[in-house]
Amino acid sequence: MRHASACCVTLAGILAIVTARSSAEDWAQFRGPNATGIAAESTNPPLEFSTEHNVAWSVELGRGVACPIIADGRCFATTMTEDGKFAVLGFDAATGKQLWKKEYETGKLPEITPPNEHASSTPASDGERVFVHFSTIGLLALDAKTGDELWRHSLPMPFYLMGWGAANSPIVYEDKVIFNLDDDLASYIVALDRKTGDVRWKKERPEMLGGYAVPVVCRANGRSDIVVAGSGKMKGYDPQTGSERWTSNSLLRTIMTTPVVQDDRIYITCQSYGDTSRVLKYALLQWRDTNQDGKLAKDELEEAFHEKFDKGDANKDGFLVDDEVSAAFQSPTNMVGGGNIIQAIKGGGDGDVTKTHVVFNLDEKTPSNIASPLAFDGRLFMVKKGGISAAFSLKDGSKVWTKKRVGNYGNYYASPVAAGDRIYVPGENGYIVVLKAGPEVEVLAKNDVGDSLIATPAIANDRIYVRTLHKLYCFAEEK
Amino acid sequence: MSRHFFSGVLSVVAAAVSTASVQLAAAEQFVQIVHGKGAPSIEVFAANELADLLKRATSDVTTQVADHASDKSAITVCIGGPQTNPLTATSFKDWPQVSDQGIVILSRDDGSVCAVGGGSPAATLWAVYELGHRLGFRFLPRGDIDPLEKKPAIDFSEYDGVLEPQLRSRTWRTINDFAIGPESWALEEHKRFLKQLAKMKYNRLMLSVYPWQPFVEYEFAGVKKTTALHWFGEEFRVDGDTVGKKVFRGAKVFENPDFAGLTTPAERHAAGRKHMQGLIDAAHELGMTVGVSISPLEFPREFQTALPGARVARQLKSLTITPDAAHGPQDETLRKLVATKIRAYIDTYPEVDELYLTLPEFPEWDQHADVALKLLKQRGASKKLSVESLVGQARDRKLIASGDRGERAIKGNLVGLAFLAELFADSSLLERKDGKSVDLVVTSVDPALFPVLDQVIPGGASTLNFVDYTARRVADNRELLAPVPAKKVPSRLIMTLADDNVGVLPQSALQSLDTLTSEIKRHDWDGFSTRYWVPAELDSSVYFLSRASWEKDLTAEASLKELWTSATQNAAAADRLWLAWQHLEKATNLIDENDLGFTFPVDGMLMKNYRPEPIPDWWQSVTDAYTQYMIELYRAHGAIDGDAKPMLFYYAKRGEYVVEYLAAVKAVREAALAKKAGDNEAALEHLEAALESTYNCINTLSDVARDQSDRGVIATLNKFAYRPLIAEVEELAESVE
Repeated sequence: MRHASACCVTLAGILAIVTARSSAEDWAQFRGPNATGIAAESTNPPLEFSTEHNVAWSVELGRGVACPIIADGRCFATTMTEDGKFAVLGFDAATGKQLWKKEYETGKLPEITPPNEHASSTPASDGERVFVHFSTIGLLALDAKTGDELWRHSLPMPFYLMGWGAANSPIVYEDKVIFNLDDDLASYIVALDRKTGDVRWKKERPEMLGGYAVPVVCRANGRSDIVVAGSGKMKGYDPQTGSERWTSNSLLRTIMTTPVVQDDRIYITCQSYGDTSRVLKYALLQWRDTNQDGKLAKDELEEAFHEKFDKGDANKDGFLVDDEVSAAFQSPTNMVGGGNIIQAIKGGGDGDVTKTHVVFNLDEKTPSNIASPLAFDGRLFMVKKGGISAAFSLKDGSKVWTKKRVGNYGNYYASPVAAGDRIYVPGENGYIVVLKAGPEVEVLAKNDVGDSLIATPAIANDRIYVRTLHKLYCFAEEK
Repeated sequence: MSRHFFSGVLSVVAAAVSTASVQLAAAEQFVQIVHGKGAPSIEVFAANELADLLKRATSDVTTQVADHASDKSAITVCIGGPQTNPLTATSFKDWPQVSDQGIVILSRDDGSVCAVGGGSPAATLWAVYELGHRLGFRFLPRGDIDPLEKKPAIDFSEYDGVLEPQLRSRTWRTINDFAIGPESWALEEHKRFLKQLAKMKYNRLMLSVYPWQPFVEYEFAGVKKTTALHWFGEEFRVDGDTVGKKVFRGAKVFENPDFAGLTTPAERHAAGRKHMQGLIDAAHELGMTVGVSISPLEFPREFQTALPGARVARQLKSLTITPDAAHGPQDETLRKLVATKIRAYIDTYPEVDELYLTLPEFPEWDQHADVALKLLKQRGASKKLSVESLVGQARDRKLIASGDRGERAIKGNLVGLAFLAELFADSSLLERKDGKSVDLVVTSVDPALFPVLDQVIPGGASTLNFVDYTARRVADNRELLAPVPAKKVPSRLIMTLADDNVGVLPQSALQSLDTLTSEIKRHDWDGFSTRYWVPAELDSSVYFLSRASWEKDLTAEASLKELWTSATQNAAAADRLWLAWQHLEKATNLIDENDLGFTFPVDGMLMKNYRPEPIPDWWQSVTDAYTQYMIELYRAHGAIDGDAKPMLFYYAKRGEYVVEYLAAVKAVREAALAKKAGDNEAALEHLEAALESTYNCINTLSDVARDQSDRGVIATLNKFAYRPLIAEVEELAESVE
């Protein structure tokens, strides 16, 4: 027994050292620091890895697509358990030892469309707490050390006309948790006290349709703004009050990507189905008009949308026809359509900045509709279906390359991340292609993680944390 | 059956069950399900199945299964007819007369006592499932669709009826060949499927096996069968570059899980016996008869020395031999070899009920037609028959087997039939170990012989008739079905639900099946046997056949709309699905009409399109049809909820898969045209587009793969489409550089 105790002490000492080392760098929310996808302190993450090679640890999780996060030496992930509960898990980021697991009954789950999963919201952490959203529960705050619930804030369940399902993620900003949820029913952004869960402010976003952009912080013009991309508009909010400071009316109908900030600029790349005239009504009449009579009947929509239906049914004939469809679901002041954009907007503006702060706006068919761009090494890098990549100068939007394959086909839902001089490009098919950062596409490695990959990997302390559809891996160079 | 039928019954009160105190209050409903003491195991199973269905259909019902009624206040459901359940006998003294397949659901007026039974234990099980259907369940090959809303309680008086089948033989064929078909399924997957078939009242299982497969061993003239292969001996490796590899869950090769890692003939034969015996047992437990279908005239190539003069059969991979000119229909060595093979099957599987003997698909043993017909005439065939007139009919018809192939077909058929007539002069050949005889079914008699079927097959045999490869082709030639003497020879028709020549793409033949079902009912045929490989889109067809076998005038449209309206509670969605299936059948027919073999799952499947010929117009038409199919599915998917929703998503994603595949086919053709024009850069660009589409098509499929057939399709597409395409891209890229 003495001997065993001594071993435990020794092991604990080692773990403490490792933990202390691993706590040096955090990746504490979706795509890490300010959603950039860049691990600035990691200079030598593993180049080659697989399910059998350079695996520091791995755990079976169950299904989920939320990204793992790293904060203060702990790794947090979410999943749906086999018996249908939502679970948040805490692990030692260095060893993979499970520290805690908190499970929640979900009630009746809403519709989602694959590859979305119910465990889809990436948590955020301030090191002491873990914040996570679940569609039927709302926002939860858990003790990062124990998993104990500290507070919960109920939120209305989101509804999506196309049945996509929720996948929105909170961020931590100073003393607040900020959460934006754009759905097709009642979009909003809310700031809660991160210690108590009290509402600091909440703003409706009635012009927005369903979308998934995570808020980012832009420091410009001597202040910080919470910037959120949504249907047709990029908006800047006062972090303290939630008041809207500026709007750029330059985006597209459906925004699933998250912008990235570098210096005082916000960069966004996005593809939204159809051309500029493809406003929402066309999609609704194509997909939700079940009997294809050219008009929407009330029973062709979920009950949650009936209030909106009534609002749009101007002549009260029980159908939405033509512009009535738009009037019901898409704001008349925001009738934007589809297309492609690669855009840089200068932060720190006031009011309508559409004409004053858009630095460049490219109409190139290179952005993904889901994978966010990476602003790294002076270039805005993006990858879309088929593994087709493009890069543009951050400075002026000039083309560095377009339509270059990264050597892996398939879909791209996860976003690229970077560390050292490498860009990691995760494909849905489970391959993570490693590119050398530079003015050309140079494939350094192609790593197979053996399962569907929807969640963006996390990088911290020279380790890569990959949450596949079923497992969580930590990859590190074997010493 | 209407309530009137039972009006006399309802006055009968069984002493064992009191109705006075039955509580029908929703929150208190208690249902005791009573089977007979010592009842056949299938009826005990039926009782438990009913308990399960009631639990799933209701919110406030408690059930109990027992062999006696114990609670006088409970609602009582008697399982089984009067022959097997005394409580049924005492409760329903006017039990209707039904055939061994007839099913009865009968209740008292107040619903306090109900009986669910039939003319046999199997029919009792079907009666339970029929009650399930009436409660709102829809049973499909890959699972049940439960009622969208649970009832608080059940009023058993609402579901009465007596049914007799319109088609008595409802045969499901399985095993087959190719990785895309049930040859790749593990026994457990087969069992799940069989259970669903029982729910749809399929009553026969036909195990269609081939000479090279590992299901039987025999030895003849010192030669032992050593060939024990799956899917014609093809191997499907899985590696890092296998598209959609996630569906293989880490396996290095795609294989039937029951044979995983087994390499020696002895190991594979042992696994094969276990696999097939498991299938036989599982089917018997569900009240089905089981037949084994073999090709008696084909043998693995190791038997070449045992049958001198045999030739290699025309077939994929050339795995078998078949008799040739050296062998007459009375050849003694051949007779012994065939008898040895037949005995091997009957002795290895002593509980098998039927033996199907299939005449060759490509008859090359046609040199003895005149002698053969003479022999058949000696055994009772009409003296008016002549080889010349039969050949004339076979040459002139509109089937695939017409012209020269038709002539070979009828000649080979005559020789084969004469051989069988000689062979089964010894009736002991079909005796089982228990003294009973296996029923003989002759398969694929040439349609020219349909009018004289009773004269050309061995006495006592029935027939399973193949007319052409696709249901559409058979429907177009349905006049061939009428002359079959179906009252003299029980005859079944092979109903092709999806054809392997049309290939790996989604298919439907629903409207042709409607035509054929009507025809065989009209001409008193005994029933049908299915033919398919990938079960994916076949739910609606399998369901239609199951219902049309019992309903006289059911149409495909009515069946499909009823199925999906019940499953989704959304008539508009069901209407869209009817449109979707029309698009799907149009696409299937376009391929059938223009290029039978378009995606036959073999080497060259995709790259055979890499030839510099004009792009045919029908490619666009078929792409349009599949695109519309996909759109309608997504549209319906967005409108519904419940168990049907993931099914529609699965179909929709498969619609996406085929649209990508067709894009790849077109791009390959464009590449060939560009290459011929000397523009290798353009050719490379087209090939890369084809590669991306092929990748996307497989990847899309892998998103929704749900069974071994889906995995088999993915393995097949990797081997016969993706990898050859990569090879061509790499070769062309080198030349461009």
